[in-house]
Amino acid sequence: MKAVVLAAGKGRRLWPLTENRPKPMIPVANRPILEHVVDALETAGVEEVVLVVGSNRERIQNHFRDGQEWDLDISYVIQTQQLGTGHALLQAESRIGDSFVALNGDRIIDATLIERVWERHRETDDPVLSVTRVEEPSRYGVVELDGETVVDLEEKPLPQLTRSDYINTGVYAFDPDIFAAIRGTENEPGEQALTDTLSQYIEDRRLRAVKYRGMWLDVSEPWDLLEVNDSLIADEAPAGTDPASVDDSAVVAEAAIVGEGVTVHPQAAVLRGVTLGDNVSIGPGVLLENAVILSDVTLKNGAVVTDCIVGANTTIGPNTTVEGGETDVVLDDTVYRDVTFGGMLGDNVDVGANAVVANAVVLSDSTIGDGAVVRDCVIGENVRLGPNATVEGGVTDIVVDGELHEDVRLGGVVGDNGAVGGGVTFSPGTVLGNHAVVESGCRVSGHIEDDAVVRRG
Amino acid sequence: MCGIIGYVGREDALPILRDGLSNLEYRGYDSAGIALGGGKLDVYKREGELSALTEILPERSTATTGIGHTRWSTHGEPTDENAHPHTDESGDVAVVHNGIIENYDTLRTELEARGHEFTSDTDTEVVPHLVEEELGPDRDLVDVVSDVSDRLTGNFAFAVVVAGRDGIVATRRGNPLVLGFADHGTFLASDVPAFVEHTRRVSYPQEGDVIHLTEEGATVYADGEVVSRDISEVEWDAEAAEKGGYEHYMHKEIHEQPRALRQAISGRVDEMKGEVDLDLDLPDEYLNSLEEVQFVACGTSYHAGRYAAKLFEEYADVRASAEVASEYEFDGGRDPWRTLVVAVTQSGETADTLSALRRAKRAGARTLAVTNTLGSTVTREVDDTVFIRAGPEIGVAATKTFCSQVATLTLVAVAVGRRRGTISTTEAQTLLSDVRGLPGAVQQVLDREEQVRLAAEEYVDGDAFFFIGRRLGAPVALEGALKLKEISYDHAEGFPAGELKHGPLALVTPETPVLAVLTEGAKATETLNNVKEVESRGAPVLGGASDAVPDAEKFVDEAFVVPALGELEPLVANVYFQLFSYHVANLKGRSIDKPRNLAKSVTVE
Repeated sequence: MKAVVLAAGKGRRLWPLTENRPKPMIPVANRPILEHVVDALETAGVEEVVLVVGSNRERIQNHFRDGQEWDLDISYVIQTQQLGTGHALLQAESRIGDSFVALNGDRIIDATLIERVWERHRETDDPVLSVTRVEEPSRYGVVELDGETVVDLEEKPLPQLTRSDYINTGVYAFDPDIFAAIRGTENEPGEQALTDTLSQYIEDRRLRAVKYRGMWLDVSEPWDLLEVNDSLIADEAPAGTDPASVDDSAVVAEAAIVGEGVTVHPQAAVLRGVTLGDNVSIGPGVLLENAVILSDVTLKNGAVVTDCIVGANTTIGPNTTVEGGETDVVLDDTVYRDVTFGGMLGDNVDVGANAVVANAVVLSDSTIGDGAVVRDCVIGENVRLGPNATVEGGVTDIVVDGELHEDVRLGGVVGDNGAVGGGVTFSPGTVLGNHAVVESGCRVSGHIEDDAVVRRG
Repeated sequence: MCGIIGYVGREDALPILRDGLSNLEYRGYDSAGIALGGGKLDVYKREGELSALTEILPERSTATTGIGHTRWSTHGEPTDENAHPHTDESGDVAVVHNGIIENYDTLRTELEARGHEFTSDTDTEVVPHLVEEELGPDRDLVDVVSDVSDRLTGNFAFAVVVAGRDGIVATRRGNPLVLGFADHGTFLASDVPAFVEHTRRVSYPQEGDVIHLTEEGATVYADGEVVSRDISEVEWDAEAAEKGGYEHYMHKEIHEQPRALRQAISGRVDEMKGEVDLDLDLPDEYLNSLEEVQFVACGTSYHAGRYAAKLFEEYADVRASAEVASEYEFDGGRDPWRTLVVAVTQSGETADTLSALRRAKRAGARTLAVTNTLGSTVTREVDDTVFIRAGPEIGVAATKTFCSQVATLTLVAVAVGRRRGTISTTEAQTLLSDVRGLPGAVQQVLDREEQVRLAAEEYVDGDAFFFIGRRLGAPVALEGALKLKEISYDHAEGFPAGELKHGPLALVTPETPVLAVLTEGAKATETLNNVKEVESRGAPVLGGASDAVPDAEKFVDEAFVVPALGELEPLVANVYFQLFSYHVANLKGRSIDKPRNLAKSVTVE
């Protein structure tokens, strides 16, 4: 059995995690999402896998190489421009000669789903997709069924117009004639979605649906990662994930997964729901709970990290707290209310000593100075936030994507490449544009434009 | 160095040998050949790349025994006649050979006087003729090979098949040979990748062993007696033999550096205590009385040795230097009991380095090897070994092994410094924290590859390229230039930055891009003066710069940002140079993984 896995997308909603790695490579229970998918394929009896890669593909290629480690034959096709899921699938055409399974590389599923879709296809010779029930179908591709036949497919319909509780899981079995169908699909330029092809396909041919009730985990927003991670750790944590060196006085919970070359120093406590990537150093007295820590991270003594995600190669200074709790988060032009979310630090972030990061998102390559307080806000990329700078928490009204949202817990936004001096204070709701400079000791409020220089006046 | 492979078993030998040769191509590739055994021998050989040979091979063959060879010419140009396997006139004896038979000239004259006819210019060809002479109906092939090898001088490994005789007989002296044991048959090869997709169970014959391979296994003879050699399991996977979505192995290996570095560090570093555990057997009294450390190596490994020497002088407070192995002598009145000689060799088989090592041993010095290859010759000849754990490197130009060598040597420097008490806990913690930060820092550079690719596009047509750096940046400058030379064939030279004005500056023009190391550990401020020197001659400057030079864009035409990493910043800057060389070579359509005239592990002197 051959499978084509779509893993070329950018995954913008998971920024900053997806800046340097594609979404399928984000780790869940310490293994990339794509690895969970590949495992399921191998269990289902697939022997050859074609990975369609694009954005940050080296991360995928470095990890999977030629598939020997999974007893699979893995080859790669490159989607050089992200032009939709149909276009992505089309890249694999030259590798496919027969019926095959196609699926997304960024959703975690059970092997049985693949097996059932394949079986139904073999029994009937018709293309098959699979559906599952979710609570908010309008976030996905909704599928309307007549018995086993698909009668309608619609991507993200308006909630009030949604006619079915079933959504497309993104696992299919096709014949090679799907490629011609994709090519023949009428679509908007620059966007060739597979579901458009299928909508046209069902006009004169039969597309069957298999109903599925098993595991289907999608990481759409960053806090999903924490939830999904937590739920999978229990299945994953086998013996043999012993860290390279754990001090006798340190505590590492059974419900925690530890990568290779990890050091856990005296009196540190790694509690439930924690995954530690390779080469992570947990300093003396560090406390970790419900956190996803990527590789090469250093947590210095006394740091406390709960309910959050820490990107690769990031350093958290001594006695710094990265706190959890419920908050509202503004991400990618949407306001999410009451999310359990401590924060998210991107890759290569340097957080100094005695700092507080609470419900904040700090993008990659930024530096947070000693004693800084960063609450309920978003710090952009490559920002230098000076010592004792304060971005205060609070409730405010903001306009996002043209819409007014009242009483949102939002401390502020510091744009990319900002240089904020020591002791600066931001009032709640402040938005500092990109490349702006704020001199030490200023109090900033309101909207500051890009490239501005803010001085004490 | 060439690659040899042999197989005796139940499966068809032809596809097995063909694939095996493909995996050995990095050892030598100006001609290739296969001899299939059985009743009568079928020999196919061609000058050129492996694909040239594949064209003349039959679709199928029923032979289940065979030997194969890819060649890197030392004696005799690459031609069809000079390609291996070589046979006697009857074509019943076929031999593949790796190494140099030094007395071949004398032997050839004697053989020709006795009526033998030669068809090639190679040293190898004497072997099948000698075998044919000694062979008789009641003589065992093993005895014949043993006798023949006694008549040869030089370093070699060769394998013989004879029509009508069972299996393959091989022997080694000075050149690598490894045996592989699969369910369906037995292998011999110059290196494990040749057969690792069939089995990981291997054993390493020792010098002088004569081996008889059959379908069931191998019988090893030493001095006429049957001996047993340990069978071990190698950890490398066959995936190393595939490019995994990359166009070139070299590109793949550059991107593997973060992973390789984590492996080099794993389990060896206690940052909190500032301690390193390398399982070294160096007694305290010896280390305290140490007067000198000499690194002997070739090429890129030599550059790693120079980087290490500086660190040893600084942190282990001991006189340290790096020597080019082919020039190395142990003299100058040194006390061998107070000199540690460190052989740095990725493959563990580099002939020049092994020679140098043996000279040091003869003088009585204690020896240490830093290598990537388990079971290699160097590991059997030194007092201690530290492995760099980089995984197989197939691209001929060294990339990840350089990085892992320097990282590993840094750990050795800290280990020695701690034992000698010359490095404080704080200094050790800082250095170890920097080593631990290497994977993340290198990954950051790799994530910026697009910037380097664009720079390569802009400067690809430079007349020549100069690399400059100071202190730890100096070996990096040498290494950057070597990489560019090796794979793009451009004229590139590296200098300690201060030397530029003492001569080489005459070569600098607006058409000669200069790549500079402007980081910590490399005296960036002083190097900036040298940058100004070349800029005033109109040369474009590309700088690998860290916070040591804030606002580097003001001083250079292209600033490659190096993350903060103390003494290891120059090593991280080198990753930019690797990427630059790769993209320049790629733009010029070079063969990259198999540069002309070069081979991976040079086992001749």
